[in-house]
Amino acid sequence: MSQATPHDVIRLDGMPGEEVALPAGEPRRALGHDPFAGDPGPDPFEARLAARAPLRGPEPRPVLAPGPERPTEAREAPRRRSWTRTPRVDEVELPEAASLAERFLDDELRRRLAALTHLVEGGAPYDRYGFSPLATQTAFPIFHALYRFYFRVTSRGHDRLPEEGPAILAANHGGLLPFDGAMTVMDVLLHTDPPRLPRAVVDRWAGALPWVNVFFARVGQVIGTRENVADLLDDGQLVLVFPEGMAGVRKRVTQRYRLQRFHVGFVEASLRARAPIVPMAVVGSDDQAPILYDLGALARRLGLPFFPVTPTFPWLGPLGLLPYPVRYKIVYGEPMDFHERFGPEGASDARLVRYLANQVRREVQLLLDRNR
Amino acid sequence: MSAAAVAHNVLVTHADEPIGRRVVKALAHDPRIGNVLGLGEGPAPRGFDRFIAASPPRFFYARVDLAKHRSSVDFFHSSRFRDAAIDTLIHIPCHASRSEGLPVVSGLPVRTAEARMVLQHALEAPSIRSLVALGSAFVYRLAPGNANRLSEESELNLDPQVPAEVRSWIDCDMIFHGEIGSARLRVVLLRVPTVVTSGGYVYWNPSLAGPPGPRLRPLGFDPMCALVCDKDVAKAVQAGVHASVSGVYNVAGHESVPLSVLGGWTGRPGLPLPGPALRAFATAARWVGRESWRSAADGAELRYGFTLDTRRAERELGFRPQYHVGLARAGDGRLRLETSPA
Repeated sequence: MSQATPHDVIRLDGMPGEEVALPAGEPRRALGHDPFAGDPGPDPFEARLAARAPLRGPEPRPVLAPGPERPTEAREAPRRRSWTRTPRVDEVELPEAASLAERFLDDELRRRLAALTHLVEGGAPYDRYGFSPLATQTAFPIFHALYRFYFRVTSRGHDRLPEEGPAILAANHGGLLPFDGAMTVMDVLLHTDPPRLPRAVVDRWAGALPWVNVFFARVGQVIGTRENVADLLDDGQLVLVFPEGMAGVRKRVTQRYRLQRFHVGFVEASLRARAPIVPMAVVGSDDQAPILYDLGALARRLGLPFFPVTPTFPWLGPLGLLPYPVRYKIVYGEPMDFHERFGPEGASDARLVRYLANQVRREVQLLLDRNR
Repeated sequence: MSAAAVAHNVLVTHADEPIGRRVVKALAHDPRIGNVLGLGEGPAPRGFDRFIAASPPRFFYARVDLAKHRSSVDFFHSSRFRDAAIDTLIHIPCHASRSEGLPVVSGLPVRTAEARMVLQHALEAPSIRSLVALGSAFVYRLAPGNANRLSEESELNLDPQVPAEVRSWIDCDMIFHGEIGSARLRVVLLRVPTVVTSGGYVYWNPSLAGPPGPRLRPLGFDPMCALVCDKDVAKAVQAGVHASVSGVYNVAGHESVPLSVLGGWTGRPGLPLPGPALRAFATAARWVGRESWRSAADGAELRYGFTLDTRRAERELGFRPQYHVGLARAGDGRLRLETSPA
């Protein structure tokens, strides 16, 4: 076996000292190559995990001032709320078409949309995060047309999505505008029964954009804070995260389909809420608006996270931001039930959380590489 | 003796205002409450007549201006207060019902001045063991987003540029917060979001304060407003009186609606203006000294919303909202805001 050169080595974040060498004889390709194919041997971190002391909870906080004695019942764990769920499609009564665009949808789609009203407690027009079933029904025909005719989405692996209960969908992120999120939401909504609406987590920056913040909230997206995600999981909802964050969106064309470093908050949330993580790959998003260059200095001056230069932007003005009509392919991986092994206490172990995030990243990268 | 068997004698401040009236009514019907002493600036509301006329009398009313030192000292040292053997003080803050905002007493907004006075008397009066105070959830720092989850541990908005209406809530909150953990006094601080009542009245929302009429709001933003019904606020106060815990608790109802919808329901429709125009208006309002105008045009609550994590109140106080808020057709055929049991 020939000696691996430094260029053939992929360093995994959070695993200092461990490096994975590409198999000899394989062409040196960063894209499309499965660096984890074959038997990688025993996982050194697994051995360390087995040898280490049992997981400890967080350090007890010092009592600053003696308060009045609290009754025993006050210390009991909160009662788990019943999960919010929608009825099966065939259980939903076919509603009247609310708009002209809705008349072009078939009966099953209209039933799916009508099922979303069950996501809001008491049939109220809005949930606590601003999700409006009516607004979603209004926007649905447009996004359905994009899904079918513009991006021509194909997908597989829907049987790996849990029918009910909390779960986190972890996907790669790309493209200037978040159509990968929109198409994923559409795909899950169209291929689950009972219909599930993934609550996509968006960057806090989007919450400060006029109109955008309102639109995102009305169609069910939430700002990515720990409290928001924990609350949605506690409610038994499906949460869609893009652990690469903004780094995934602004990566250049030379890095397309190469996952950036993952944030780890979603792993902590998964462990605390005992929710499985479903890795998934969205193929096509990195091709919809290839970024040639990022004008960072100009972006800072304008208060933007980045300023992309693409073959069409800024040359065509705002129209240049529109995605190219690429084909989307969405693949769902096997759910990863970290919580069954590590429990909620694992969320306070920073090294473990980073390791698990890297495991998810590896799964997503594998899905991407095998389906491109 | 079990805690449930103890009859509390309570004092309610601002009992003549709408939320105070609702709290007095709930307490007057509570068999675990002994005497109820209501304080207010104006004459006793007509609704209290039947409580005052009851035999034996359990409800008493006194006119006291809590923001004024002499008036409040006279009351808290009177035989009337001593004879009532008050053990629990319930502080209901006043609301800004006038367009010019809260009046100022000794350089402080009246709400802050009253909070200081109430806490001082609660600590000095030997019979008072518990203080239940209502505060506002608008004390939290609001992060960008149509609605973000806030718990009791969330950061407070300590920005010095915060509008005066919100500032007064933060000052009141910190005044009471400082005594939590005290061995002398059990303090329960309830942070409530926008309070609504049947008929379309709205209280304690900084951007909807004052009389009905159009309100400026930034174009492109429509934050979610967590709502709580006045009857649920009264229930939460009751729970705070009977609990044996102290601390800060978020209290909210089932519903949240966008600010534009709430404005429409309560006769305060929004007048959307582009952000730069709104900022120019706020700056001009500051130059001419109209702080209440600036509050109405420059608050983060006009852009960003919140939803409250109420699990601590549910766990430790046993409070769960019991009323829904929505629109119902009134006798004249018009839709108006109503509350109904869940």
